[in-house]
Amino acid sequence: MKQIGIPTLQPRLKVLNREQALAIHTAALEILEKIGFKMEHPRALQLLSDAGCRVSNGERVKLPSYLAEKAIKSAPKQITLYDQRGNKAMPLVNGNSFYGTGSDATFTLDLETGQRRRSTLRDVANFARLVDGLDNIAFNMSMANPEDAPIENIYVFAFAEMVKNTNKPIVFIADSGRDMAKIYEIACVVAGSEEELQGKPFLLSYSEAISPLRFPENVMERLIFCAEKRIPICFPSGSNAGGGAPVTLAGAMALGIAENLVGLVVHQLVGEGSPFLFGPNVSALDMRSAVVSYGCPEWSLTQAALADMRDEIYGLPIWAYAGASDAKVMDAQAGSEAMFSIVTALLSRSNLIHDVGFLEYGSTSSLEMVTMADELVAMSRSFVEGIPVNDETLALEAIERVANTDTNSIFLMDDHTFEHFMQAHFLPKLLDRSRYDSWEAAGSTDLYTRCNSEAKRILSQNQVECKPDDVLKGIDKILQRL
Amino acid sequence: MSEFKALIEAVTKGDISKAVAETQKAIDAGGFIQAIIDEGLIAAMDEVGDNFSKGTIFVPQMLRSAKTMQECMKLLEPLLKEGDTSSKGKVIIGTVKGDLHDIGKNLVAMMMEGAGFTVTDLGVDVSPEKFVQKAQEVEPDIVAISALLSTTMPAMPQTIEALQKAGIRDKVKVIIGGAPVTAKYAQEIKADSYGADAGSAVTEAKKLMGIS
Repeated sequence: MKQIGIPTLQPRLKVLNREQALAIHTAALEILEKIGFKMEHPRALQLLSDAGCRVSNGERVKLPSYLAEKAIKSAPKQITLYDQRGNKAMPLVNGNSFYGTGSDATFTLDLETGQRRRSTLRDVANFARLVDGLDNIAFNMSMANPEDAPIENIYVFAFAEMVKNTNKPIVFIADSGRDMAKIYEIACVVAGSEEELQGKPFLLSYSEAISPLRFPENVMERLIFCAEKRIPICFPSGSNAGGGAPVTLAGAMALGIAENLVGLVVHQLVGEGSPFLFGPNVSALDMRSAVVSYGCPEWSLTQAALADMRDEIYGLPIWAYAGASDAKVMDAQAGSEAMFSIVTALLSRSNLIHDVGFLEYGSTSSLEMVTMADELVAMSRSFVEGIPVNDETLALEAIERVANTDTNSIFLMDDHTFEHFMQAHFLPKLLDRSRYDSWEAAGSTDLYTRCNSEAKRILSQNQVECKPDDVLKGIDKILQRL
Repeated sequence: MSEFKALIEAVTKGDISKAVAETQKAIDAGGFIQAIIDEGLIAAMDEVGDNFSKGTIFVPQMLRSAKTMQECMKLLEPLLKEGDTSSKGKVIIGTVKGDLHDIGKNLVAMMMEGAGFTVTDLGVDVSPEKFVQKAQEVEPDIVAISALLSTTMPAMPQTIEALQKAGIRDKVKVIIGGAPVTAKYAQEIKADSYGADAGSAVTEAKKLMGIS
């Protein structure tokens, strides 16, 4: 009889015990019930009031706990994002993790000159094409606030540029219900019809309230639009510790979760069962510069904590960040901060992980950073897979074989090595392990230089499958009518 | 200067009750009010500003010192005589129309107050008309405009234009700031200055006032 194998422990980071998780959740509910929030969208206000919230002074709302608990129950436990050809690409469920880029960087590091400059639509296209060609980067965000797009339709143009240059899923931004409707129109053209888009969504909306506890009209417009159209949405407010939220991480998490729950409640009241990706952005406000840090250990810690809360309480897929840095250039700081957040996001089984490739606390994007992060994700994945223990991996037969060979054999020439090395080891492409002389002969390059060459290679060689002509024409028609 | 050593120390440390007590002591001792402000409080805040620039203290410590100074000023202001001045200049500050973000703007306001400016905070979503109306009312030296979103940036030149139309553009200095704002953009829209962060906003404001 074949024996049941030894299960593999895949290392998992835990940073909260059940008592801590419940206490933060309870505090979030208490914020909503006792302190309340400011809802500036009339319909959302009406919905909340009809559902049993207490409204005072026109827009101050206090939300009873049971409404939050009910919304947590009605939101789907799984969100699946498809690619733009309708193939299942990102099942956001349980401990599945997917990495992607970020949005709205004002600047980019120019691939040719290495200089920081304002980003353009061309950069949006380049990032999309790079992401399309990287195995470990699953989804795309604009990575730019393009200077050359008309400002009132900046997000529509950025979205159009993305769908023209990648077939991977897209996380997008809009300003209000107006431009979101245009983006939705483009997405319907890409998917073929509204029905096909809703059945196999390839996009997810990123929207955020203002911490502390303020819900502007245009933000809620977007949320309601998504709830009605069943477009997946995330709603992480900027509850950074020390700025939008208390400086202590527990309070910042409680506040961020409370804000997220307000979004979830309105969302589920509008479209019960519509997909909602849970989780706030709880980073730290740097106490010297007052910037929201993208390289701090606190953000990784709070999202690891959120993953624990997901497992203990919410059961909803969660939003996260990784692979970014506060460094101004892609240096050792950028590498260490990127790796820290990439590996901990995977170790804590965050689901949708964005902001890969950001420098300068999210103000500058870098194609080289994204390229490096692709490799760091692969490296992290090989670590998190753990050590499978079975007859093949214990390799006693190979040991016997090599030990009994008279010549000074090593395992390198044994068949077992040939058969297993690709699975047994992480094989880096960009991280250099060559001997000194060969490294020197190859131009004595550093990682930044190699990532630069690799990004250029992918951009020139990777063929992004082109959208059909009628789709491209349909998109242009929408842009022209703006 | 040594006369105010204890007061200066209390303000730099952000010890509100001690600083208030020291201020009261100085008043009771019959000191000149202007001297208590200049040689005590402002001197302390200059030291705090220096320490912050050098990186030896953090933002919350600086803000606590600013708050300490404000508490002391509450005792001193009613005693100021006509012609005495407690201010390095008057500033009105706000986040532009359509933009509801105010953390950065609040930080700038606090730090400007700490540096000795008199600040009127107009809040968020401030229309060009509101900026004009307040500028006419307060007669500020500096109008400080903030925007976090690139989509709300166009409200900055609109505000500057409104000041122009109202005929008060040349009576004020305009300084702008916020995440998407650059020095180049400040030039393009003919602002007088640009603050990359709260600290440099204060430095720039001082330059605009001709104080180093």
